[in-house]
Amino acid sequence: MTNSNFSRRNFLGLAAGAAGAAALAACGSSGPSDKGGSSGGGGGGASYWSLSGEPGQPIRQAAIDRFNKANSGTKITPTFFQNDAYKQKIKTAIGAGQAPTMIWGWGGGGLKSYVDASQVVDLTDWFGQNDAVKQKILPSSFGAATVNGKIYAMPIETVQPIVLFYNKKVFEKVGVEPPKTYGDILNLIPKFNAKGIAPFSLAGQSRWTNMMWLEFMLDRNAGSDVFNNVFAGKAGAWSDPAVLDMLTKVQDLVKGNAFIKGFSSITADSNADQALLYTGKAAMMVHGSWSYGIQKANGGDFVKSGGLGWMNFPPIEGGKGDPSNTVGNPGQYLSISSKASAAEQDVAKKFFSTTLVDDDEKAGWVKSGGVPVLTNSDSLFTGDDAQFLKDMSAIASGAKTFAQSWDQALSPTAAETLLDNIAKLFQLQVTPQQWVDAMNGVIGK
Amino acid sequence: MTTTVNVTGTQTPAHHQPPKRNRRTGHKLAKMNWIGGGLGWVWLFIVMIPIYWIVITSFKTQANYFITNTFAPPRDPTFENYKTVIDNDVALYFFNSVLVTVGAIIPAVAISFMAAYAIVRGSGRLILRLTNTMFLAGLAIPLQAVIIPVYLIIIRLKLYDSLLAIVLPSIAFAIPLSVLVLSNFIRDVPKELFESMRMDGATEWGTLWRLAFPLTRPALVTVTIYNALGIWNGFLLPLVLTQSPDKRTMPLALVNFQGQFGVNVPAIAASVTLTTIPIVLLYAIGRRQLVSGLTAGIGK
Amino acid sequence: MTTLAPPAVRVKESKTAKGGRGGSVLWMAAPAAVYFFAFGVIPLLGVLYLSFTTWDGIGAIKFTGLTSWKAELTDPGLPHSLWVTFEIMILSWLVQTPISILLGVFTASFKRYRALLAVLYFIPLLLSGVAISITFKALLDPNFGLGAGFGIDALKQDWLGQPRLAMATLIFVVSWQWIPFHSLIYQGAVRQIPGSLYEASQIDGAGRMRQFFSITLPQIKYTIITSSTLMVVGSLTFFDLIYVLTGGGPGDSTRALALEMYQKGFMANLMGPASCIAVILVLLGVILAQLLRRLGGRGDESMMEGV
Repeated sequence: MTNSNFSRRNFLGLAAGAAGAAALAACGSSGPSDKGGSSGGGGGGASYWSLSGEPGQPIRQAAIDRFNKANSGTKITPTFFQNDAYKQKIKTAIGAGQAPTMIWGWGGGGLKSYVDASQVVDLTDWFGQNDAVKQKILPSSFGAATVNGKIYAMPIETVQPIVLFYNKKVFEKVGVEPPKTYGDILNLIPKFNAKGIAPFSLAGQSRWTNMMWLEFMLDRNAGSDVFNNVFAGKAGAWSDPAVLDMLTKVQDLVKGNAFIKGFSSITADSNADQALLYTGKAAMMVHGSWSYGIQKANGGDFVKSGGLGWMNFPPIEGGKGDPSNTVGNPGQYLSISSKASAAEQDVAKKFFSTTLVDDDEKAGWVKSGGVPVLTNSDSLFTGDDAQFLKDMSAIASGAKTFAQSWDQALSPTAAETLLDNIAKLFQLQVTPQQWVDAMNGVIGK
Repeated sequence: MTTTVNVTGTQTPAHHQPPKRNRRTGHKLAKMNWIGGGLGWVWLFIVMIPIYWIVITSFKTQANYFITNTFAPPRDPTFENYKTVIDNDVALYFFNSVLVTVGAIIPAVAISFMAAYAIVRGSGRLILRLTNTMFLAGLAIPLQAVIIPVYLIIIRLKLYDSLLAIVLPSIAFAIPLSVLVLSNFIRDVPKELFESMRMDGATEWGTLWRLAFPLTRPALVTVTIYNALGIWNGFLLPLVLTQSPDKRTMPLALVNFQGQFGVNVPAIAASVTLTTIPIVLLYAIGRRQLVSGLTAGIGK
Repeated sequence: MTTLAPPAVRVKESKTAKGGRGGSVLWMAAPAAVYFFAFGVIPLLGVLYLSFTTWDGIGAIKFTGLTSWKAELTDPGLPHSLWVTFEIMILSWLVQTPISILLGVFTASFKRYRALLAVLYFIPLLLSGVAISITFKALLDPNFGLGAGFGIDALKQDWLGQPRLAMATLIFVVSWQWIPFHSLIYQGAVRQIPGSLYEASQIDGAGRMRQFFSITLPQIKYTIITSSTLMVVGSLTFFDLIYVLTGGGPGDSTRALALEMYQKGFMANLMGPASCIAVILVLLGVILAQLLRRLGGRGDESMMEGV
């Protein structure tokens, strides 16, 4: 695993930096360096915290290496944390006023809470002055970086729509066609169940996995207005009859064994849900586009031999939603801490305007199996993954509305209530009406 | 009503009984305890299933981890996971964990023992009663709740991102339970023993070491292991109070094998196997001392 | 009913000497007191203060009096998570204690494989929350876990997906990790019961069962209290294992207080109510410590030292 190289390099990088050296010299007894607040590396430096692990970390590290090499006077010091660890760490650091210069995030509600607390820098004017940078980024990615009409983050990395994956071999075996409508899905459910194959794989314990179903069911049923009203904080916005209808349909799916038996015991972090699809124990799965890379790496020759199919979630008969709509992550986001010094902020801005929009960055993410947030990437889609990348790019750019995942769009308070109630909905522990009431209670919070 | 075993009034409670146990005790207990025997083997089986799984999974590749049977040993075992783990400086993390655990547990138990002794011996003093109350209030502190203040204190002390930053709060959070358990133990030491020490002209400090220490050894061993395990497996303090990769401890290192979208299960299994072996060996060698610590009594 | 083995027989000496002698022991409590004050009490006071504020964990802290307390005390999540906490505490005690005692007695007497058994039993203790969660989640997976591995359909349960089953699974995993530790303590205690006690009772014709109940159990009474203290107090702050194993789910079936606090404070950014839960946890800890001490027949002294 390349993982190792990077932690090494990381280690050496730190050792070379003034702060790292001091900490090492003190042999852990008392490091006077306070790397949380003012970055390590002395003079023109900046700190950067982000997520560890494949496939992102090597690409992030490469970008920083490029920048540090091209700017000998300045230095960005990265630290990588595992996903859950990062969420805990960044929250503690910001709460204690010790944020790094650059804060990696998912935009949306989380970003808004930083904005409300004046923890991040307003980049609207900067993007105004650097229109060339703005033009290099997909316009749809800016939505989740914008709070009250102002831009507080730089969209980076990849666009990740959520799609319907299916196992073509299982479909052939059972002798059925991929669904074109929601009605087709309903018809397919008993057919797969009869053959002892689960219609849908679902990692129900992870909660956000269930949420992806609600997002599509609501959008296809009622269009994007309902959630936009929720997002805008309109009182009682969940009371739209379409919501009740959607929730009832979801519970009917649960009762009708649409999801694999025992889905509440399955977690997404072990990738067991995706293993169900590539081992043929389940026929279909709604998941983020990143799942492609995982199935390719772990599924033997499943992806290479053309076993994996994908499509945008099909329309629901009589639904008002535009079938081109999609949901997911319109990008990842990098903000600048307002507690950082002017010099540190300048380093970060230089990093934004040069390295993060260069061709190597674009190529790196494409190579990892992702669609970059940078424009004009299509020419790079070659080789094995070309078709998948082209399709994802088409879904992302062709969507009339590319909605951000609910849990990331909403405030952390509302998102936690949402995930909690979604888990209960799938457990049949609450009725659709109770769900609506509970969710109306946290609108605008 | 029932048979009375005549135990004289000078008999002390079990845990500081001189170890004059009869050699044949064990034999008799064995005969009478077939329920325990059966349970012993059943429990061994239950304990071993997950451990067996960890070991065999550490020799599987991530790609065929879901494809092969959960309990089937891999047909062509790979050492790739161990290589990955060793390349990821697992030795350094292991060493850090040892430093933090040993560095925290020895002072923690020592000062808790002294405090427990003082609380029992000086229980008339208001200040000691207040101190004891303070410790009791610390019994159930949820670490997550106090992590931000602790973080700020560590930064104020200029200790952020050092191993000492993990050690200091770890000592503090081991104190309440240690004091509670140890003071309950010391309290059972018959007062006349203290009295006779005093008559012999021993100072409190001397009584602490020569009387209370040997009598409390089982409890000392218990709280040492209990707290050491907590520190060894601690996740939140190392995560929040350190940052550089060279200051990471084992639990943080394990988390590192969880990628952005998924977990490298075989690599975690390999690092668990690799880091558990030295401790199991250490325990196998030191077990006799440990158990004699648990059974130690007067006059040892 | 006569007691066979006596509880601690303490000579009730006059306490006159104590006050005078107390002075010389005072300093011994100082290191722990100072230490704990710095890293325990100061943060705790911070939490107490936060419980009277409204704070999202990121921005400015606003003092809002009893607002957070009112919100927390009227939240149906509080009684629920209190109940779950007690459920976990009582169930895990009920499962662990008898098994630990029996195993302790067994390993104390069973010489032949004792060394090997003791080493093997010890291994689960060394595994961190992350390692345990990954292992058990893999084994409990209804499609790829135990059931598939052994080919036994009865083991293909929705272990973490049914409220009662998830609680049972959680208790099992907790026991799996901690029973070895507690049986180790009991083993030590049993091995120092004087053999003469058993001989005497044998002369009196006591059977094996009665020996166990009339000699072994009373003789290890204080060990039971120590072990129970660790179990009960430990279960109050159980966090890691639940968090990684069930995340409090399914729904909120295994959401204990510590988890409820974490979810409120760090996931939902409601640090005020979360701090209220922390204060409640601290109070519970104090009450439990008092109860445990009374159980040990030390009520008289705890009145003196008590809260």
